[in-house]
Formats: sequence, structure tokens, C-alpha cells
Amino acid sequence: MAILNFKKRQIECKIVYYGPGRSGKTTNMEYVYRTYTKQVTGDMVSIDTEGDRTLFFDFLPMGLGEIKGFDVKVQVYTVPGQVQYRSTRKLVLKGVDAVIFVADSLAVRREKNMLSLKDLQHNLKEYGISIFKIPLVMQHNKRDLVSEALPIMSLEQMEKDLNRQLKVPSFPASALTGKGVGATLKECLKLTLVSLKKEMKLE
Amino acid sequence: MSVVKKIKALLKEAEMYHSQGLLYEAMAKYNDATELVQKSDQLKDKPALIGGISKKINTLKKDISRIELAPKKPEMSTNIQDLIKKMSLFSPDLDEDAKALDAAVTLAKFGQFKRAISEFNTLLKKDSTRIPAAKNILRCHIALYSSNDAVAQYQTWLSEDAFHPDQLDKLRIFLENQLKREGVEKTLPKTKDQIIEISAEASAEADEEHVPAPEITDEEHHEPAAESEDVLDVNSLGITVDDGPQKGNVYEFKVRFQLGKVVSLLIPSREKDVVENFKVGSEIHNVQYYTNVGLFNGSGLVAAVKEITIGPLRGDFCVDIEVVVH
Repeated sequence: MAILNFKKRQIECKIVYYGPGRSGKTTNMEYVYRTYTKQVTGDMVSIDTEGDRTLFFDFLPMGLGEIKGFDVKVQVYTVPGQVQYRSTRKLVLKGVDAVIFVADSLAVRREKNMLSLKDLQHNLKEYGISIFKIPLVMQHNKRDLVSEALPIMSLEQMEKDLNRQLKVPSFPASALTGKGVGATLKECLKLTLVSLKKEMKLE
Repeated sequence: MSVVKKIKALLKEAEMYHSQGLLYEAMAKYNDATELVQKSDQLKDKPALIGGISKKINTLKKDISRIELAPKKPEMSTNIQDLIKKMSLFSPDLDEDAKALDAAVTLAKFGQFKRAISEFNTLLKKDSTRIPAAKNILRCHIALYSSNDAVAQYQTWLSEDAFHPDQLDKLRIFLENQLKREGVEKTLPKTKDQIIEISAEASAEADEEHVPAPEITDEEHHEPAAESEDVLDVNSLGITVDDGPQKGNVYEFKVRFQLGKVVSLLIPSREKDVVENFKVGSEIHNVQYYTNVGLFNGSGLVAAVKEITIGPLRGDFCVDIEVVVH
């Protein structure tokens, strides 16, 4: 739930990158940090452990301009994707306004994608949020690996696996090159703002 | 595809997964390649090939163990701790003091005990958070240092007249029970004068090595009535599983933190099966709550289930239960 500060005329909301371990959540955020310098309002904080795995979360503060005289601040987080960090993922999700689900296109990660989406649904439910109602955008990452002749799932397959019921906006991407990263985030921010306006009756 | 091409493809795939950090997937591909080499009759220098793959597997194993044995990080930087605190601010239903208390408890739950103590100390100055903050300071001292350290903290408060006598009484009883749970039977001083008396007794005991330790009998204590807005301090609770394969089993858990009606249990990783019985939002019937003054029956609402991911308690579970008094 976004925090509305009338004194400062500020709305603070939270977007979380979710997905299985090594799917490219941190890489997405790094690209955003490097590229959208105008919107980024502070340093990116990463807490990782051995092997560049996220231990707690990554954090990036962004500014989105104004809605009805309110300055919109966005806190962007990633969760640790490794299975054992379930409780941390839940903590990071606290107060979330929108989610970007980063799925891994590698065929060997098919099951991990589905488990992670289920984990997201479960954790949201624990905060009383329905995965069908929260602003959610799907990203099918690592599409560039097709050129490496690795077994990659087709976009149709990924949509069928992950987005058949949700029917949320989805984007093919390569976080490493930046392709699709901006489109994913922009769509998520758009959905967040629409939801905020609705929630706060600012329309 | 010829066997050689298949092996090459598997090795390339393994290398790619390794570079992506998908270590177990890489291991599976190397194992597939080894199996294929072993089965094939067409290959000339099988031992050399298997030797080459084994080297790669060993490198991979080293990477896996480096990750699995990555050093624990009991204390994070201030910057990170601030961010952890900030996460607690997304609790719009709480007032400012309760949010600050929640943030400090979150820090403690993540093993950031030193910073948590500092935050709790600030909260001692506020009436609404004074007692829960003090109790959590004592808990943090026990978790971070030792029970002696918690006792020293209590004695400091006692000697400095930092609390009202009734508040000190609560803290003393609370700490004595915490110590009991740690296996330490200790009678704490009730007044400043007793600090000196008990210290003197302790040093006399230490001097007279062969004399059996005198049993200190505490005078009968009448617990002050619990504040109407608060639940009694719960030291531990007993749960009888009433459903599933563990039906009928009785478990007893220590309470690690208490914030109003919500108690936090610490459940060791070896009892993971028990944790699976706790679904957030579900009600646990038939709960026995053990307090300083005795036992009461009730039920509990599971508020949160978290796995501790850092610090010395890594792998254990923290389960928050809201006490429901019948």
C-alpha cells in the first residue's frame, strides 16, 4: 500500500522485481540504474553473497513526477530468488504496490519459474493481496540466449505456463543488453499509477 | 547426431549454465556427458575425456561449496539496516511509536542485534513502548552476548532508578524466566542494596569451593495483575496438533519476542515438519500458554512464518502467533 504524506505532498510506492534465482532481477535493476538517470534519485544498493546471489534485496529509489500536486516516489526492490530465502522475499513484499515477475527463458528453469510464481501468489496472499488484482507485469528474460543454441522455451510456452490465467502484460527481454527492460518497467509504472489514482481517488 | 557431437553439445550447455550461475543445472549436464562417454564404444580416449570432465565437475563443486559455505553476516552496514527498518514503515495501521518498535523488532529478527538494542534504547524514553523495548533489550543481550550481560543490564537499570519499582518488578520476573529457559537458575536483586548483597554472596561462594552452594529461597512472590490492555508475558507455549499426519503430537516452544498480543517463536530447522503445520491466517486450537503466573488455555492465530536467513540462527524459523484468550 502506497504511503501518502500530505505534509510533504508526497506519495511513496513500492515496486518489487520477483522471480526465480538467477533469472536476471538484479541485472534488470542495474540496467535501469545505468540508463534512467533522470528518474533515478539515489544510489542502487545491492546486498549479495558469494556468486553474486542476492542475499537480502537490491534497492533503487526513483521519482516519477507528480500526480495532482503529489510528488510520486518509487522504491524499487528485488527479492532474493533462491528457494531458501522465502522469509526475506515475504518481508520485501510488505506494502508492495506492483510486481514485475522476471521469468527465465531457459528450458531447464521451467519448473523454477512456475514454483516462483506460486511462491509470489502465496506470499501476496499472506498480506491479503490477490495476485489477480495487484498490478503485475511479466518479463520473459534471457531471450538473447537463443543465439547460444541453448534450449530456450518459446514465448508461447512461457505464456501458457505462467500467464494463461493471469493474462497480464508480458514482454520478451534480455536484461543483459537492456532489450525489453525499459518497456517492462514503464508498463509496470503505468499500471501502478493507474492503480494509485484509483486507490487514492485522485482521478 | 553423433555421440561426439552430443557430448560436445552437453559440455557447451554445461559451460553456459555454469557461466549463468546455474550450478546444479551445469552439474546435471556434466554428469550426462560423463555417462554418455562411459556408455559409448566409439570413443578412442575415454579415460582422458572422463578425466577432463571430472576436472570441470571439481571446479563446479568448489563453486557450489563456496556458495553454500558463504560467510554469515550477523551485522549489516548501517545503510542496509536503515533499509530493513524502512520496510517496517509500510504498516499504515500502526502509530509512529509502534512502527518504531516494529522496526526494531524486525532488526532483531534479522540478527541485527546491536542496532536493535540501540533502537530499543531510544524507545525506552517513550511510555507506550518502554516495557516492551526493555524486555527486547534483555532478549537481544541474551541472543547476542550472554545471560550475564542481560543480568548486568538489568542491574544497571536497577542501580540507576531508570524504571518505576513496579516496572522493574516486571522486568526482573521476565528476565528470571528468560534465564530459566536458558537453563540458568538465578535470583535477581529486587533493590539496589541487594545487588551488593548478592554480589558478595556470589564471591563468597566462589571462594569456598568445597562448600555446597547455599540454596537461595525466594520469598513468595505475588505477580502484579497484568495490565488490562496487554497480554501477560508468555514464556513458552504448548501446541497439540489437531490435524494431519502429526495429529495428537504435543510440541512446546519457547517465546523469543513478544510484542503485545503477538509472540514470536523460534523453531529450530530440524523441526521444519512442525513449521509446515503453521499456515499464516490459520487458527491453532488448544494452545497452552505458560506465563510467569501460571498456565492458561487459549488458541492462536498464525500471523507470520519466516525462515531466518542470516546470522547464527540461519535456517531456523520464526513463527509469530497472536494470542487469543478464551
